[in-house]
Amino acid sequence: MIKLRTWLASTNGRIFGAFLIAAALHLAGTLMIPGYSSPFAIRAMLVIASLLAVASIGQTLVVILGGIDLSIPFIIGFANVVAAQLYGDGWNFIVVCLLVSLMALAIGAFNGFVSRRLDIHPLIVTLGVGMVVQGCVLLWTAGFPSGSAPAAVSAFVSIGGSAGPLPVPWLVPSLVVLATLIILIMARSPYGRRLYALGSNPGAAPLALIDPVRMWTITFALSAFFAAVAGVLLLGFTGSAYGDVGQPYLFQTIAAVVVGGAALVGGRGNYLGTIAGVLVLTEINTLLIGLGFQPAAVQAALGLIIVALVSLYGRERHVRSTI
Amino acid sequence: MVSAITLHARNLVLRPGGQPLNQTIRPGEIVGLAGLDGHGQERFLEVLAGLHTPHAGEVRLERGGQQTVITSFRRAVDNGITYLPRDRRATGIFPTQSVLDNFAISTVGKDARFGILSFRNRRKRYEGFRERLSINAPRPDAPITTLSGGNQQKVLLARALALEPDMLLLNDPTRGVDVATRHVLYDVFRGLAREGMGLVVLSSEIEEILVLCNRVLVFRDFELAAEMSGDAMTTETVIAAMFGRAA
Amino acid sequence: MNTIRLANIRRSLGFGALLLVVLLAVNLYLNPARFHPAAWGTLIGLAAPLIGAALASTPVILSGRGGIDISVGPLMGFVNAIIIQTLFLKGGVESPFVIVPVALLVGAGIGAINGFLTTIVRIQPIVATLGTYLVLTGITLTIVPAPIGPAPQWIKAFAGPLSIIPLAVIFLAWWLIRRLPYYDLLMAIGSDDRAAYTAGVDVTRVRFAAYVITGVFAGMAGLMLTALIGSADPNIGQTYTLISIAAVALGGVSLAGGRGGLIGAAIGAIDIFLLQSVLTAFNVSTYVLQVAYGAILVAAVVLTAVQERANRRERNA
Repeated sequence: MIKLRTWLASTNGRIFGAFLIAAALHLAGTLMIPGYSSPFAIRAMLVIASLLAVASIGQTLVVILGGIDLSIPFIIGFANVVAAQLYGDGWNFIVVCLLVSLMALAIGAFNGFVSRRLDIHPLIVTLGVGMVVQGCVLLWTAGFPSGSAPAAVSAFVSIGGSAGPLPVPWLVPSLVVLATLIILIMARSPYGRRLYALGSNPGAAPLALIDPVRMWTITFALSAFFAAVAGVLLLGFTGSAYGDVGQPYLFQTIAAVVVGGAALVGGRGNYLGTIAGVLVLTEINTLLIGLGFQPAAVQAALGLIIVALVSLYGRERHVRSTI
Repeated sequence: MVSAITLHARNLVLRPGGQPLNQTIRPGEIVGLAGLDGHGQERFLEVLAGLHTPHAGEVRLERGGQQTVITSFRRAVDNGITYLPRDRRATGIFPTQSVLDNFAISTVGKDARFGILSFRNRRKRYEGFRERLSINAPRPDAPITTLSGGNQQKVLLARALALEPDMLLLNDPTRGVDVATRHVLYDVFRGLAREGMGLVVLSSEIEEILVLCNRVLVFRDFELAAEMSGDAMTTETVIAAMFGRAA
Repeated sequence: MNTIRLANIRRSLGFGALLLVVLLAVNLYLNPARFHPAAWGTLIGLAAPLIGAALASTPVILSGRGGIDISVGPLMGFVNAIIIQTLFLKGGVESPFVIVPVALLVGAGIGAINGFLTTIVRIQPIVATLGTYLVLTGITLTIVPAPIGPAPQWIKAFAGPLSIIPLAVIFLAWWLIRRLPYYDLLMAIGSDDRAAYTAGVDVTRVRFAAYVITGVFAGMAGLMLTALIGSADPNIGQTYTLISIAAVALGGVSLAGGRGGLIGAAIGAIDIFLLQSVLTAFNVSTYVLQVAYGAILVAAVVLTAVQERANRRERNA
């Protein structure tokens, strides 16, 4: 019995629990709402979940490091608007993606470098930088973003699309491949091992030959990169540019990561858990909307459920057990 | 394979207005550092490790006739000097990580093939040290916090030795470690010294220094108060030097 | 005040205070009429909700161990909705002797819930208060789907000549709290909760109280907000969340806890308000304002950190 409890409390236990909850929610939805498990509905959920999953890659890495990235929603908006605008102006889309990626990497690197080098809480740095980025983008488009997405991107994320024989758009299998890659890198690469170690005990890291500034710079750069990817994908999803398209992702990425079993103090969690968290959040959202809740009520219910889930298996230790 | 390096501390001043000290740590020596808490022995060790810049003076490493000045921790490690910190909880172990992870973290590149770590290789390296240091860890994949303090310290020592150092700087290595493990560690240290590795051991227990070290440097007020070896090295003389009184 | 205390205050205020002086000078130059003593009431009334939000966010940040309350903004909006819609419009209640206590009690209640979630259930503060944020936003939107008014007559006076009073009340309350042993306990657990625990401090209770205080102050800020907008607006609360944290950081309060105070938070909030004022005088678009907020925030914390490092280096030399 004790072994079960310790396993449940461990990261793997939490991830398993999260997947179970997602499955239970889906079952509940299927029973309560007609059409909940219709092929279209499932495809739609997979697409929405995939978008959140991409945006949450960065947050996962950053949280394991012991930090947090509040610039993700702003970078999503930035990538979304800049890509649309430039493509609409006639630029080659590959060049646009390259440019947006490089800029995102630079912004993220700045976030990580400044936070770690000067020992400033990343919450503040990423928040400030995010605001600057959003403001600059709004200034550049004078508040009226224009442009569009190339047909290829729209097809990539379109709910009605299909990837060869699979009845899902290419986004979904691509995400599966990406997820496998991320999980592999986190578990079995020098970068991944150092990431966990640094999050686990920042004081011991330099003596173990881990360069904290370098790790933070790289990790935050990656976070911004994947946020930009999400921004471009969202452009394909909605069809037009919108600077605030990333706003919901501010707290949803944090919620997904935490529901997936990561600890905000660092050193714990993995991307598989985040995916479970993403599924749980998507299920809750779809379920509540399907049950006829108003958006306001959905938001409130989401808050309650996140708190309930985290209190089940995301509890921190009492001070006395940290001595 | 351990190659012979000599560490020279030249005109080292550890605090403003302190007396400069000169010391040479030779291959195969076990030098002890003693003193009342906070009297500079730790600072001296950190300077040797490149973790602290001295107020004046420098530390030079000599290998095969070539001399290098130690200016940083990274430089020291690259040149074969490895440091084992004092407080394993604060600056040693990574509590959420497994025993294997904790062992391999400093040498994580050694197991990498095309960017991916070979867990088998890591396990193999770990097994070598497990045997040598008698590490008692029935489940190496479990978090390191499941091990006793003594075994945790052995894993940290294994981590240091995995770097294949030529000189080992140890900051109170048997602190919080049970008696049986201590003796295992002493044997390991002596074995390393026999292989030609130089060791500098800071210890807060005089008996340990007497048992383990060839000579001892006693610090008082961030200066070298006394240096003793052989028969002159007794509990009384060391304590007297620690308190600033000649025996 | 002895020299050490003065030096401590100066150190913790850092660039926030410097910025205040600069911005105040620029503002007075650009727009002297706005800062005329006769207009001080209105001016303070405009700035009050922001200052109140920043003040409210401070106690939990001081309590350390990741303490933060991102539900302060939505709580202000919730209090706003309750006062206008539930009490005034639907319930016909107008008396300040009912409305003010209700606002403070609601604030205390939500603060208690946040405290419960973070200290007893021990959910990470940002997650717990995120939950409260979402719930409060949702409930506010349900009570008040669209902006609605008006507000009782008496409350509008607090956005005008009497606007300093709610702020003064918060400062008075904090001044009293500082005189209690509680304040030392709060700063102790903010600096090192493990050491405080082993010294016998009831860390849980002190933190819980910090959340309740934050809630009460946020309730007060909700009153200030209501006074300013003279109606109920379901969307306005959220905008205060991130800005109030920025204000707190700008004012030298450490997000790790144990350092800083309400004066710093107030200075940070006033900085942001004055910045807004300057940019409005230049007829600059809100987008420039956005860039400016972010840039000033980053610049201020970076410069403060650089200054800290320089101080530490010269102390250790």
